[in-house]
Amino acid sequence: MPIMPLADPGTPDARGPGRYLWWLVVRQPLRVLRGSFFGTVWMVGLTLPPYLTSRAIDDGLRARDTTALLWWTAAIVAVGAANALLGMMRHRTMTFIRLDASFRTVQVVVRHATRLGAALPRRMSTGEVIAVGSTDVNRIAQVLTFVGPGVGSIIAYVVVAVLLLNVSGLLAAIVLIGVPAMVLLVSPLLRRLQRVETEYREQQGILTALAGDVVSGLRVLGGIGGKELFSTRYRQRSAALRDEGYRVGAVASWIQACAVGAPALFLAAVIWLGARTAAAGDITVGELVAVYGYVAMLTTPVYFFIETAYDFTRGLVAARRVTNILDIEPDVTEAPASTPAPTGPADLHDPATGLTVPAGVLTVIAAAEPAEALALADRLARLTDSEATWGGAPLASMPLDELRRRVVVADNDAYLFAGSVRDTLTPPGDHDEESVAEAVHTAVADDVVEALPDGLDTHVGNQVRTLSGGQRQRLRLARAVLTRADVLILIEPTSAVDSHTESVIADRLRDTRAGLTTIVVSTSPLFLAAADLVAHLHDGTADTGDHETLLRTAPAYHALVDRRTGDDQPAEASR
Amino acid sequence: MTTARLPVADRRDVRSATWRLLTDDRRAMITVLVLYCASAAAGLAGPWIVGRIIDQVESGTTTTTVDALAATACAFVLAQVLLTRFARYAGHRFGERALARLRERFLDSALDLPMSTVEHAGTGDLMTRASSDVATVGNSARDALPEIFLGFVQMTFMIGAIFFLDPVLGLCALISMPALALVTRWYLRRARDAYLAEGAANTELAEDLAATAEGARTVEVLRMRADRIGGNDAHIGAAFATRVRTLALRSVLFPSIDIAHTLPVAATLLVGGAFYLNDQVTLGTVAAATLYLWQLVDPINTILIWIENLQSGSAAFARIEGVGKAPAAPAPSGRTPDGDRLDITDVGYAYLPGHDVLRGVTLSVRPGERLAIVGPSGAGKSTLGRLLAGIDAPGTGRVTIGGVDVTDLDPAELRRRVALVTQEHHVFLGTLRDNLALAAPDADDRRMFDALEAVGATWAEALPGGLDTMLGAGGMRPDASQSQQLALARLVLADPHTLILDEATSMLDPRAARDAERSLAAVLEGRTVIAIAHRLHTAHDADRVAVMENGVVTELGSHDELAAAGGTYAALWRSWHGG
Repeated sequence: MPIMPLADPGTPDARGPGRYLWWLVVRQPLRVLRGSFFGTVWMVGLTLPPYLTSRAIDDGLRARDTTALLWWTAAIVAVGAANALLGMMRHRTMTFIRLDASFRTVQVVVRHATRLGAALPRRMSTGEVIAVGSTDVNRIAQVLTFVGPGVGSIIAYVVVAVLLLNVSGLLAAIVLIGVPAMVLLVSPLLRRLQRVETEYREQQGILTALAGDVVSGLRVLGGIGGKELFSTRYRQRSAALRDEGYRVGAVASWIQACAVGAPALFLAAVIWLGARTAAAGDITVGELVAVYGYVAMLTTPVYFFIETAYDFTRGLVAARRVTNILDIEPDVTEAPASTPAPTGPADLHDPATGLTVPAGVLTVIAAAEPAEALALADRLARLTDSEATWGGAPLASMPLDELRRRVVVADNDAYLFAGSVRDTLTPPGDHDEESVAEAVHTAVADDVVEALPDGLDTHVGNQVRTLSGGQRQRLRLARAVLTRADVLILIEPTSAVDSHTESVIADRLRDTRAGLTTIVVSTSPLFLAAADLVAHLHDGTADTGDHETLLRTAPAYHALVDRRTGDDQPAEASR
Repeated sequence: MTTARLPVADRRDVRSATWRLLTDDRRAMITVLVLYCASAAAGLAGPWIVGRIIDQVESGTTTTTVDALAATACAFVLAQVLLTRFARYAGHRFGERALARLRERFLDSALDLPMSTVEHAGTGDLMTRASSDVATVGNSARDALPEIFLGFVQMTFMIGAIFFLDPVLGLCALISMPALALVTRWYLRRARDAYLAEGAANTELAEDLAATAEGARTVEVLRMRADRIGGNDAHIGAAFATRVRTLALRSVLFPSIDIAHTLPVAATLLVGGAFYLNDQVTLGTVAAATLYLWQLVDPINTILIWIENLQSGSAAFARIEGVGKAPAAPAPSGRTPDGDRLDITDVGYAYLPGHDVLRGVTLSVRPGERLAIVGPSGAGKSTLGRLLAGIDAPGTGRVTIGGVDVTDLDPAELRRRVALVTQEHHVFLGTLRDNLALAAPDADDRRMFDALEAVGATWAEALPGGLDTMLGAGGMRPDASQSQQLALARLVLADPHTLILDEATSMLDPRAARDAERSLAAVLEGRTVIAIAHRLHTAHDADRVAVMENGVVTELGSHDELAAAGGTYAALWRSWHGG
């Protein structure tokens, strides 16, 4: 039995979807061989009961030979038991083969996605990665079924052909051609059924979304009204879906009936022919029963085979999605010739805006366009390559790992991962209780942690959706503070907290980060007033100064940061 | 804060609800039943006729007789196709109607939930019920139920046919049944939890992968790569363990079914053989019984494949029915308020006993006044807002409008008087008109456009489809500030006397917030406004400011008075202005 997760899932062959699938096969050669073996023996074993039954009838009953009857019956029980075990072994082996394929795929995708980092959201919608986890891995795993029963199907088919040829050439020809033809006839019907149902499910999905929408808007409906309106609207859509369901049912029921009827009709035809042959004395009564059994049995391998072909078409699409992700390369890579990063505090400089961020102090950037500030932050933290320098040397040629450790951007919407709150808060590295408590205190998140049932050990979900926007924001801030990075760039760290809290945060942040370089992107007067240096970012350039001076001298800055309802009030009037 | 969960219906309720759902449409149910039985009966012809043919062949017959019998078999197959078709179709229609009734009833129950229940249980649980549970029940009812039902009918008919051939052979057919029933029982007792665990582990793994993808930037910035890989591997380990568990269950069930399927065949051959040798039955009868037993594996497999699905369907059904079991809102007293004066008298409130969020708060707001409430997070501001909006009843003390307790007001009456505006600006799937009409169903286009214009939503005029433009997925997607404007336009249309703003603009970026505040000014015109302030400029513009700390009002007065008083507010105001 394999053990998942794999310590090392290996380096995938991402040159194409077919190659990727093959890679998944050759990563588990022994298991695949075992799967083929059990798949084949089991499938061939399925042909035996009809044969044995025919012998029991002919040699035992018709020959009135009790001993023969007993022996053939014993053989039926033995073969039945053996097949039951073989079937189980096949199913177990195939399940492990599929599990290996799907989990290995998740592992390589996660390893690659984490290597891509910031490049991933720039290059691909996260929905595609999510689709890999939710549907693609299953489709890929399903393809691997071909190595077991897929192989077994072909061999079983040949075995039945030989057995039938011994009975009657004509019957053999009809069954051997007829069964695949019939399955080929039925399979498109089943696929059509799937399609019809998929369409209906989409409609159903829309109605479900509508119900979910009403539920998530319940507060609005309760506060403003409109329940009757939405109830009526839902009833109308629901009735429309019901009618759509009638239409689907009209088609689907025909398909279902034919899917049952076609094999039954074929069987009846074969029996007719067999009965005539038997009446003419060309085959025995036992053989007639065997033919009946073969036809019934043969649909299993043929179905398997055709389903495998279908699985392949879907599996290739799924594998393509995986290789599309694996093909992406990171945006920022280690420079060939590296310049050492400055050993102590050093100024950062961004030639694009002309901004110089002095070392060891709090700089607050008030940006007219939030996007400009984000781009600036990316340049300073080398999340994109640029001309930016640190201590006079280009960031682009410094060792990447050291940069990531020493220069940290804390996004306003930075992701909070599931786990205990302590895990969520702590970036890699050792953090003692004291420093965690200090960071929580700096972010004024003590009350957030205290309100949790188990404090720091409370388990929370991804993005901690159970907390309010302001509470989450303070957790993010605590995490950022805890990095103790030489350069910490905070994007709108207090946009969702109240003024009281914001002013406390600004003070504590100054204290905690004394001597370290801190950049805050914010238009809040509370933060701007606390800054050592204020940079007003507008039209691609940065004007620097202190809050008071800029308020007096730069009307655009004044308009940006003073958000009283009447924008035309001069700042002096409110003092 | 507290997560009171919505109730789940118990076994007895589920049973009676299922029965009600089926018998609401009694005639259709009987039709379906009859058609299913007829199609199963037609399906019995094959082996029967093979048996007859064998007897004819054994007694040396002509091809004419064989032809007649075989033609009959074909006729029965055709009849089976037609009957199956109409049975399935009737089943579909019956199922669709039942499902429509179920989901419509669910939505009405959800809409009838008292606001306090929605607030405390959160919408997450209800969302799951509305989306995945309704869908799960739908799939069970559409696929699993008919398959299982038909499977049972077929199984019963086949065994019945063998009994009809020969009662002793019929008993032979049943020899595995007790063992099969035991194994199935053993399996089902464990399968539901095992498959639920498997499903949950799969969901967690998929969510973990989604989190890694969505948080890829954070992973790089905070160097969390090793953490993420380790965490994902742990999820894989957990998911793998659940898969191994379900595989172990199947490793018992599948071979048991296979063996249980072989034994009756052997028994029939032996017992039937003995009877045949004593000339008590014909060879054809033994053969026909054997063929029935071979075919019996299909309905048994079908039942076992789907029965697990039916189990999860019934669990989902219990959650759907549970929504209707939530306690209803207390009946309003029907008293009419005298005026719009809001009085908060010595109000206390606690979510958990012993953890008071509000203590002895007393405030009066006269019509037309603007009151700003400021204070640190956790001071109880939002709780007070909810009490004012009548969502929760105060633990002690009273909250009254014109002398009547807000919780005593009829919901429609309350809405006409008080509206709570929060950070949540839900835009409903549907047209722009749908989104506005909920506030004023009778409003004409002119009024709607006026409302949009009042809040500065000039973009609405430029929409190609006008008021009939679809919003949300697949249509126009309003950004945060447009969503907010929509929410505000609803308020203009709803026209309440009193507005409670709970940090209504705090989640918007500074630029959008500025626009939103301008829009808001249009809405506030001429109303009583209680603003739970996020930014101090709101407080500056208010008639009075209340400072809340630790569940009590510590300062109350005009901006100028408080700024001069030298308390908390004054200190904050100074820092806000960089003084």
